Amino acid sequence: MSADATATRGLVGLLDPRRYGLRHQVGAVGLVLLALAPYLVPTVWVRNLTIALFFAMFAMSWDVVSGYTGQISFGHAFFFAIGGYSSALLNLELGLPPVVTVPVAVVVTVVAGLLVGVPALRLRGPYFSLVTLVAPTILLNVFILFSDTFGGELGLDSPAPILSFDDLAVTLVANYYLAFALFVGILAVLLAVTRSDAGAVFTAIREDEDAVAASGLNPAKFKVFAFALSAAVGGLAGAVFVHTPIGNPNPSQLLALTVSIEVIIAAILGGMGTIVGAAVAGIFLRLFQLYLGTVEYVVPVLDTAVADVDLLLFSLVTLVLLFALPGGIVRWAVHGGGAALDNIRGRDAATDGGRDPPDRDALAAVRESWREDVAAMQAHVPRTEPGGDGPAGGDHR
Amino acid sequence: MVDVATLAVNSVIISALYALVAIGFTLIFGVGGVLNLSHGATITLGAFAAYYASGGIVEAGVGGAVLAAIVVPALFSAVVYKGLIERIQDQPIMVMILTLVVAIAVEQVFLVAEGTQPKSIPSLLDGTVALGGSKFQTNLLVVFALSWVIIAALFYTINNTETGKAILATSMTTKGAALVGIESDRVNLYTWVVAGALAGVAGLFLGSFQTANFAMGRGPLMLSFAIVVIGGIGSVKGSLVGAYVIGTAEVLTGAVSTRLTGLVPLLLLILVLLVKPEGLFGRELAE
Repeated sequence: MSADATATRGLVGLLDPRRYGLRHQVGAVGLVLLALAPYLVPTVWVRNLTIALFFAMFAMSWDVVSGYTGQISFGHAFFFAIGGYSSALLNLELGLPPVVTVPVAVVVTVVAGLLVGVPALRLRGPYFSLVTLVAPTILLNVFILFSDTFGGELGLDSPAPILSFDDLAVTLVANYYLAFALFVGILAVLLAVTRSDAGAVFTAIREDEDAVAASGLNPAKFKVFAFALSAAVGGLAGAVFVHTPIGNPNPSQLLALTVSIEVIIAAILGGMGTIVGAAVAGIFLRLFQLYLGTVEYVVPVLDTAVADVDLLLFSLVTLVLLFALPGGIVRWAVHGGGAALDNIRGRDAATDGGRDPPDRDALAAVRESWREDVAAMQAHVPRTEPGGDGPAGGDHR
Repeated sequence: MVDVATLAVNSVIISALYALVAIGFTLIFGVGGVLNLSHGATITLGAFAAYYASGGIVEAGVGGAVLAAIVVPALFSAVVYKGLIERIQDQPIMVMILTLVVAIAVEQVFLVAEGTQPKSIPSLLDGTVALGGSKFQTNLLVVFALSWVIIAALFYTINNTETGKAILATSMTTKGAALVGIESDRVNLYTWVVAGALAGVAGLFLGSFQTANFAMGRGPLMLSFAIVVIGGIGSVKGSLVGAYVIGTAEVLTGAVSTRLTGLVPLLLLILVLLVKPEGLFGRELAE
């Protein structure tokens, strides 16, 4: 793929799928398939896919703080519950429409996230994980303590739906597209942030926080930013979730320990610190779980149906996968697939582990051309090539 | 009617039990540097092993129940360490998550096999004893006495035997211990086995004066976080003190309102983490 020869300036070049690497093309095909899914699968699976999309959003929200900065949160359900409950309460108690309650819920979640995160992020390693593990438990205890307001262990009534039609099938499809739009939006934002310079700092914090501090960057600032972003995304997903037919503001869907843990499992199975991995594994894991719950096959020796032992099977499969592929499935597929492709094409790996010649994907090309423009403007040098087809790989510094 | 003597005795007894749980937890962390989140599941396993041995499957009496509650969790703990943790023990995140998944799997096994119905485990000794004007189950007093015997034995072992000293040395510095010929993997295995046995016994005790069910280990696991953080992660003495702080706090708030019992230890934990993260007897973690 000769990116240099056909380099086009600006966003048009970025959006041309022919110039993507194979893995990005696979991802684009996946998104298109998801967009067409309601026409490809039976109605009941549209419902399941909607659940899976929300779960994937939860997993992505975890990945941006824990996967990238390495501050492992064991209580992300805290965010989902605060988002979902505050939106539902505003709707049920004050009668505000979801258009108002969802943004307010996001703000509430960010504030709550900062209240927990700012002091907790001063702690490192297992201590931080402990605080985050305890936060949702405290919240659950508060909900039970004030059952009159929060509905205790049973949760609240369903708040007003965002999209509702007379025909159930239409409602399901409409809500699927709502979830899909939200999913794509969150994916885009998180990818943009984590692939930016800020994302590089997040990764650096994960590898060596002291080194980041030593190079003059304030790790606390970046950690708090990642935490707040994660809270906003988790709160948004949780808030919209309760306004769909598939979600209700109750502890078992939003706050239980299992919610936090399933999210972590999804993100790790997909590959920590990739966002895409969390999204892919989140979708497949939840679908797998929902599928297990429907299997009627009776296991001979144990004399129980698979559907009755679905969580047990799920945890055992997870255990094996975690043990066998600690780096995550997506990372494994990208590396394995890349190596296989290079073998076929006869390219060798460079001594530093990179590629020879070095990869220049579409995004890097666009970024470089932008840098050139900025440099040109700063230097007050009139542009010599006003056209759109200048040599992007020229002798820039 | 709540009277002070009952509260005092209750908190002293329940705290001894919490100390058993927390000491095992803190041993594994102090020596291996890993948080074992399957510790709660080991408690459940101990309780169910006792249940199966005392009539659930075989009729082995109280003695058999005690034996089962020690041996099965200790073996389980050893298998978890050897099979899963040993390979990844330098990756704390993976250890936390794998032990968490192990815990879920164990809970699910008992949920599928026994359902949500609580199971009763026979008391170690029946009858009641009058003490300070109020009556207590003999069982509770036996639990208390045995807990302290076990704790004292553990202290003696750690401070006075060669294996115990090896455990202490490894918890201080793995490299230093390795220099004088202590195999850290073997020491880790010892601590996992000891912690498993302690948790199993705690499960038996908990089950004998409450009941056993699949999720019974969650509460004690959460409490042991609070305890070891208050006492200082890795400090056995600290866990003992922490257990008494948390146990007393829990019993006292339970007397005011039972709905508050779950909340107070967690708030204490947060408070200690924010004000004095290294705990009462903790030290800065050495590399």
